Amino acid sequence: MRNLDYLEPESLDEALRMLADYGDEAAVFAGGTALLLAMRQRMLAPGIVVALGGLSALRGIGYTPEAGLRIGALSRHSEIARADIVREHYPVLAKVAAGLANPQVRNQGTIGGNLCYGDPATDPPSVLVALDAELEIAGRSGTRRVAMADFLVDYFTTALEPGEILTAIHLPPVTPGRVGHYKRHLRTPAEHRPVANVALTLTERGGLWDDVRLVIGAATPVAQSMARAAAALTGQAITLDLAAEAARIAAEDLTPVSDARGSAAFRRQVVRATVRRIVAEAAGLDWSEAAA
Amino acid sequence: MSHHWISLTLNGETIEAEVPANRLLSDFLRDQLALTGTKRGCETGVCGACSILIDGEVSKSCLSLAVQAHGKTITTVEGLAQGQALHVLQAAFMEHGGLQCGYCTPGFLIAAADLLSRNTSPDDAEIRKALSGNICRCTGYQGIVDAVRAAAENLNGT
Ligand SMILES: Cc1cc2nc3c(=O)[nH]c(=O)nc-3n(C[C@H](O)[C@H](O)[C@H](O)COP(=O)(O)OP(=O)(O)OC[C@H]3O[C@@H](n4cnc5c(N)ncnc54)[C@H](O)[C@@H]3O)c2cc1C
Ligand code: FES
Ligand code: FES
Repeated sequence: MRNLDYLEPESLDEALRMLADYGDEAAVFAGGTALLLAMRQRMLAPGIVVALGGLSALRGIGYTPEAGLRIGALSRHSEIARADIVREHYPVLAKVAAGLANPQVRNQGTIGGNLCYGDPATDPPSVLVALDAELEIAGRSGTRRVAMADFLVDYFTTALEPGEILTAIHLPPVTPGRVGHYKRHLRTPAEHRPVANVALTLTERGGLWDDVRLVIGAATPVAQSMARAAAALTGQAITLDLAAEAARIAAEDLTPVSDARGSAAFRRQVVRATVRRIVAEAAGLDWSEAAA
Repeated sequence: MSHHWISLTLNGETIEAEVPANRLLSDFLRDQLALTGTKRGCETGVCGACSILIDGEVSKSCLSLAVQAHGKTITTVEGLAQGQALHVLQAAFMEHGGLQCGYCTPGFLIAAADLLSRNTSPDDAEIRKALSGNICRCTGYQGIVDAVRAAAENLNGT
């Protein structure tokens, strides 16, 4: 790894000033789990890293019924997984955090680093889009909020401008009847990263689904909302046939990545199977006996 | 390059050291402190051979800089035994064939120690999940899971 200056700002202002002063030479450093790999593989070569560890403004997880959930960007996956307020109000997010990567990476990697790196082969983006998350971003001229769906721009590209720092993730307050589901597909059980994942949120009203969000991650360059498939599931009695139909539409609308871990055709099939299963399970149906 | 004085509690002792900013925690432990129980395997966060406890939580020392250890409490595999008395996990790995070449063993012992500190009677699924960040190329895992289960039973006196 090349020579490095490791800076430890004590406030957000100081960190933003350092990023402004050093420009392209500097990179933000949170847990380091993604950045150190990229540096050792010489994909990134910052001469300076600005370590966020001392910024208390980026820590903590809090919930109020008016504002909803705020997750500090420095929260590690394991902290999100075991936070009582996350488990109580957004159990699907706690489940995602508890199941991604492996125990060590969950103890070391932060949610902020996960999102800012923009690696498609990850779990949180799709579920955060399905939960209508907003990201709080600080720059020298103040703070702005960006919808999670707009934050994800392309493969390893986010809406962060140079010198900006992600400070927190916000989720809207929970509403009655709103539930979330999540499924990830691994190529082999020993592989940590998903080749595809599906997040589903909906509000149950009189046995029918309303306000449905179906979002695909990891199989696509950025998490992709499946509006047509979601519309097909809205206001209809969910049957295995309807689950299969929604899955067919989602697979058709998918913009898959194709790489060493899975071809576009393979990912399309995985998404189709996973959507069918998650919809069936969310409706309490047993898909295992039925033909696809 | 910046250099940093770090102070940490390592296997129960307070130590201070000077480290260059780009030194990995795994290299600091092995090359600077000669604690070679912690292994370097993949050095990409996959195999778990470099696992240590940081503030009681299992972590991969190849995914961390030494300077990040400042102010932390670290346990490496060298810190598990009490003098000549093996840790209950170490004894169980020997008894149940939890190792062959032994290269992955320090990492598995540390991941298992983290599990048993949070959950004194894990079932097999919980054991497998807790060890899912560690790879062994020899044993086929059954002996490892048997050893962790036996260690838990031993601790519980069952
Ligand atoms: C073996 C392995 C398996 C993994 N498996 C999975 C998986 O299954 N699912 C999954 O979702 N993820 C997985 N990951 C990815 C893991 O979740 C991320 O590496 C981790 O969350 C990154 O967080 P960090 O704090 O370490 O980021 P860092 O490495 O510190 O930073 C990553 C990037 O984000 C930038 N950055 C960090 N924080 C901020 C901020 N607050 N504001 C602006 N920029 C910032 C940095 O400049 C850098 O470019 C895996 C990683 C490894 C090593
Ligand atoms: S050497 Fe650290 S995980 Fe393999
Ligand atoms: S005992 Fe040889 S790699 Fe595990």
